[in-house]
Amino acid sequence: METIITFTEAPIVIPPLNLPSREIGASLEFLGIVRELEKDSVLKGLNYEAYESMARRVLTRHFEELGSRHPCEQVLFIHRLGWVPVGEASLFVRVLSSHRQEAFLFLDALITRLKTDVPIWKSATAGP
Amino acid sequence: MTITILAFAQARSLFGFSTTTVSCDAADTPRTVVLRLVPTAELTALRAALDCEYVSWDSPLGDAKELAILPPVSGG
Repeated sequence: METIITFTEAPIVIPPLNLPSREIGASLEFLGIVRELEKDSVLKGLNYEAYESMARRVLTRHFEELGSRHPCEQVLFIHRLGWVPVGEASLFVRVLSSHRQEAFLFLDALITRLKTDVPIWKSATAGP
Repeated sequence: MTITILAFAQARSLFGFSTTTVSCDAADTPRTVVLRLVPTAELTALRAALDCEYVSWDSPLGDAKELAILPPVSGG
């Protein structure tokens, strides 16, 4: 399985879809978008930071574990860092697989794990 | 030996630094090192990592070069 992990302080630009093989039958994409309301507070955006070297290591391990359960061909993971205004994406994930079920299961489990132990944090305390 | 301590997110304001380097022994643990720096530190809600791997607060440092103090994550 090919995996690509990117952290960027620039707005996320969804990459064009390049199929790595003719056996890809499913392309599943997830965008995480910053919402205006957080615990009854009105936000202008969120500030994201990461322990990037560890985040890459933990993500890679999750990709390997999930890929053994739900075989997929490619995972593209982009997480934005720094200030992300309301309405813009903080996260983009694209999973390519032969069949839809593997992609759905992989993506759902990945997002759950992302919020469990991948060292990335958001805060509403610092604007641009 | 020395070890670099990194504090992220809320831990940075709790401990008052983002990075610092301290002297230590291989038998020290994340808990002993951090409590020497900040004796009143409350570690219950925080996790420790040595060289980018989660460890318990009572794991020996060994030859680790980097100790990270990690609040609950909230990516996505």
